Amino acid sequence: MTDARTLAEMNGKYSLPPNAGPAWRAAHEAGLDMSLIEDTLQLTPEQRLAEHQQVIDFLLEVQAVGVSHAPE
Amino acid sequence: MPQNDQALLTRLKASGLDFVVIGGVCLVFHGAPMATFDLDICCPFGEENVRRIEAAVADLHPFHRLTANKLELEMTRTAFAELKNLYLQTDLGKLDCLSEVLGVGDFDSVRKQSVIARFSYGEFRFLNLDALIASKKATGRERDLAAVRFLLAIKERTQKS
Repeated sequence: MTDARTLAEMNGKYSLPPNAGPAWRAAHEAGLDMSLIEDTLQLTPEQRLAEHQQVIDFLLEVQAVGVSHAPE
Repeated sequence: MPQNDQALLTRLKASGLDFVVIGGVCLVFHGAPMATFDLDICCPFGEENVRRIEAAVADLHPFHRLTANKLELEMTRTAFAELKNLYLQTDLGKLDCLSEVLGVGDFDSVRKQSVIARFSYGEFRFLNLDALIASKKATGRERDLAAVRFLLAIKERTQKS
């Protein structure tokens, strides 16, 4: 049986880490997805840039298709 | 685990799941210059559809990325009825599946307010510009309100008669 907290997290509730400071809490309360930041902090700067490039390459393709769908 | 949205989209389509791309990738689709590091989709839920999602990522070591103990996706089999969203980490990156979009509605509403985009690797539905604006306004978050400014400017420029 899945407990209520786990079920809430499965559905998207972000639980603040025990070491969350005031800036971290403020960013979370402002609506930023802090789970993304937790993950990027696990990467080296080189890994972050490599991931950024891969994402940008994909997004540029999406953008190009989107532009071709824009009304005249 | 580098984000590979193209591969995730291709897998989801191959699974037979009906879905609409929302979120940051959809922002970029409409021309907003905002990077995003996850793939957000809206799709119908229920056991059949969750199983399709599960099948699409089964070999990618998927787990519920927001759970404290990084619960494996296959452990959700007992909770289909209670799942309205899935926030997954996979070997191809983050995949967030939502059953509804704030400011737009459930999947049927989202699908009705979507456009089809053709890529070299397939056709995919994206939330249309007006619905995306409505969804970003509805959250009221700072980042989303900044996105709304971009989107309104894009709408003004592209839909000028």
